[in-house]
Amino acid sequence: MANLKEIKRKIGSVKNTQKTTNAMKLVSSAKLKRTEELAKKSRVYAEKLTELLTEIAQKMQNANAEGIDNVYFKDGENPKRVDIVFITADKGLCGGFNSQTIKSVSKLLEEYKAKDVKVRLRAVGRKGIDFFKFNNIELSDEIIGLSAAPDFKTASEFISEIADAYVSGETDKVIIVHNGYVNMITQELRVDQVLPVDTTRLELDTVSTSELEVEPDDDDTLLDALVKRYVEYTMYYSLIDSLAAEHSARMQAMDAATKNAKEMVKELNVKYNKARQEAITTELIEIISGMESMK
Amino acid sequence: MELMKLEIITPNGVIFDGEVKQVTLPGSEGEFGVLAGHATLVSLLDTGVIVYERADSKETAVAINSGYVKVDEGKTTCIVDGAVALSGEDSDLAKALEAAKALLEKAQASSTAIAAAVSKVEQIGKSL
Repeated sequence: MANLKEIKRKIGSVKNTQKTTNAMKLVSSAKLKRTEELAKKSRVYAEKLTELLTEIAQKMQNANAEGIDNVYFKDGENPKRVDIVFITADKGLCGGFNSQTIKSVSKLLEEYKAKDVKVRLRAVGRKGIDFFKFNNIELSDEIIGLSAAPDFKTASEFISEIADAYVSGETDKVIIVHNGYVNMITQELRVDQVLPVDTTRLELDTVSTSELEVEPDDDDTLLDALVKRYVEYTMYYSLIDSLAAEHSARMQAMDAATKNAKEMVKELNVKYNKARQEAITTELIEIISGMESMK
Repeated sequence: MELMKLEIITPNGVIFDGEVKQVTLPGSEGEFGVLAGHATLVSLLDTGVIVYERADSKETAVAINSGYVKVDEGKTTCIVDGAVALSGEDSDLAKALEAAKALLEKAQASSTAIAAAVSKVEQIGKSL
C-alpha cells in the first residue's frame, strides 16, 4: 500500500510542475507577441539606417581610391585587440538559448587566443556573467537587467563606452554576439561585427551614380553622427532581437516540458492502476485462501 | 506636378510612407525644400518641423527632434529619432500638439532652435 501512496504523491507533484510550466509558456507567448511587435517596428529603422550608412560609405569609397580615411571604416583584418559584447538572458529555463551563446563566445575566445589577440568580454545578462565568473574568466564590463528590458538610453550608454574605446585606439574591433529571433520555433545565433563598420555586408542593388552632396559639408560631422547612431541602434536592436528569441526559446522549452509532464502523468496513472489492481488481487487471494483453510 | 516618394521612419515605426508633391526639411545648415528630381543629398536634420504636401495638395506637419535625411531623384528618406505627426481631428490634434511640444522641448538642441520649432508648431496648431 505504501507504493500506491507514493505513486499518487508523485502524480500530484508532476501535475503541479505541469501547471507551472504551462503558465510560464503562456506568459512567454504573451511577452513574445509584444517584443515581436517592437522588433518589427525597429527593424525598419535599423535597415534604413544601415542602408544609408552603406550607401554613403560606398560613395566615399568610390570617390577616394585609397578607401575611406575615417577611424570607423579602417581595415578590420588582423585586429590586435577585440571587444566581444554578448547578450544572454537574465533568467534560465529557456532551453539551449543561453548555452548556445556562451558556447559560441567561448569558441571565439579560443580562436582569438590562438591568434594571440587580446580579447575583452563585455557581458549583458546574468546567465552569461555567471558562467564566465564561475569559470574564472575575466569580464571587463557587465550589466544585468538590460537584456530583460531593453531601453535605448541604457543600451547606448553601454555601447558608447565601447565605441569610445575603439575610437581612442584601445580596441581594433567590436563584435556583438547574440541569439536572434527568426520565427516562433527557430532562433539563430548571430555574430555581428559592429566596428569597424563592415560596408561589404550589405549589397545595394541601386546605387545611384549622381554625386552625393553632404550637409554639413565637412566630411566627418555627418559621418560620425551617423556611425554613432548606427552603433547605438545596432546594440539596441540586438537586445530586442535577443529578447524576442529568449521568449520564443522559453515558450518552446516550456511547451516541451508541459508535454513531457503530461506523458509522465499518463505513465504514472497506468502504474498506479496496476499497483492498485495488484493490491486487490493479493487481498482477494488472502481472503480466498483464508476461507479455504477454514473448511 | 511630379510626385516623389517620402518616408519618415522612427525607431517606433513608420510615420509616413507615400507620395508627395514637395517636402520642407529642417536641415542643420538651414531649412530646405525638396521637389521630385532633386539632386542626391544627405543631411543632418535639426530639431524642427517637416512639412510635406501630399498629392491632394493638403499639407501635413511632423515635429521631429533630430535625424538624417537622404534625398535622391525619386525618393526622400527621413530617419529620425522621434517624431509626432500633427494631424487628425480636434481632440487628437490637441493631443498631438502637446506631444510635439514635449518632444521638442526634450530635444538636445540649442534653446533658440527649440523655441523656433515650438512656435512653429503653435502656429500650425492655430492655422489648422
